[in-house]
Amino acid sequence: MPEAVQVQLKRGVLELCVLALLSRADAYAYDIAARLAVAIDMGEGTIYPLMRRMQSDGLVDTYLVESPSGPPRKYYRLTPVGRTSLSAQKAEWTSFSAAVGVILGDEK
Amino acid sequence: MSRELFLGRLRSGLAGLPPETISDFVADYAAHFDEGVAAGRSESDVAAGLGDPARLARELKAEAGLKRWEAERNPSAAAGAIFAVLGLGVVDVLILLPILLPILGTLLGFAIASVVGFGAGAFVFVIGAFAGVARDVAAAMLAGLGVMAGFVSLGALTALVTIGLVNALVWYGRLHLKLLKPALEGGEVRS
Repeated sequence: MPEAVQVQLKRGVLELCVLALLSRADAYAYDIAARLAVAIDMGEGTIYPLMRRMQSDGLVDTYLVESPSGPPRKYYRLTPVGRTSLSAQKAEWTSFSAAVGVILGDEK
Repeated sequence: MSRELFLGRLRSGLAGLPPETISDFVADYAAHFDEGVAAGRSESDVAAGLGDPARLARELKAEAGLKRWEAERNPSAAAGAIFAVLGLGVVDVLILLPILLPILGTLLGFAIASVVGFGAGAFVFVIGAFAGVARDVAAAMLAGLGVMAGFVSLGALTALVTIGLVNALVWYGRLHLKLLKPALEGGEVRS
C-alpha cells in the first residue's frame, strides 16, 4: 500500500515539477525525463505524453536547437500562461503540504 | 527490449491515428533512444526506463482523441473521443454501457423523430390542403411551418444534449488522465 500512495503522490505533482524545471532553464525532453527519473524515480516514458498535453494546454512551447551529436533537439520553454500556472500550482502545493505537515506533526 | 521492438510495439499501438501524428510520436521516442545511447546507456536500459510501449500508446492515443474532439465537434470525433477514454480503462465499460446505451438510444430516437417530424411538417406544408389535412392552402402552410419549426428545435436540443454528454465524458477522462494515468515506474496502482 505505501507504494500505491507514493505513486499517486508523484502523479499529482509531475506537471508542477516540469514547470519548475523549465522556469529555471529551457530544456529538451530527454534531459527533463532523465532529471525527473533520478530526482523522483518516475518512468521516463511518461514525460512525452505530459509534454504534449502541456503544449496543447499552452503552458509550454518548443523550438529547435542544433545538437553537437545527431539531429536537432526540440527544446521546451515556459509560456506566460505556463508561468502563471506555475505560481498558482506552487502556492497551492506549498499551502497543502504545510497543512499536511501540521496534521502529521500533531499526531506524533 | 531493443529499440526496434519498442518502437514497433509503440507504432502498432498507435495504429488508427493519422500517419503524421504517429511519426511525430514515434520520433519523440526514437530521439529518446538516440540521446540515451549517446549518454552511454544500453538500448534495453533505455527501453526499461521508458516503460510499457503499449500503455504509452494508449495514453498518447487518448490525448490525440480528446484533442480532436475539442478541435472539431462532429460525430466521428465524438466516437473517437469516447473510444479513446474507454480504451484507457479509466471508465469501467461494464458499468458504463448499461447507462450509456439507453441514453444513446434515446438520443438517437429523438434525432430520428426530429427528421421524420420535419418530413411530416413538410408534407403538410406542401400538400396538406389537397390531402384534406387542413382547410385551405394558407392554413396548411402555417400548420406545416409550425410542425417543421417544432421538430427543428427538438433536433437542436438533441444535438446540444449529445455534445454536453460527450463533453462530460471527455472531462471525466481528462481528469483521470491528468491525475492517474501518467505511467510512473511500475505503472499500475498496486492495491
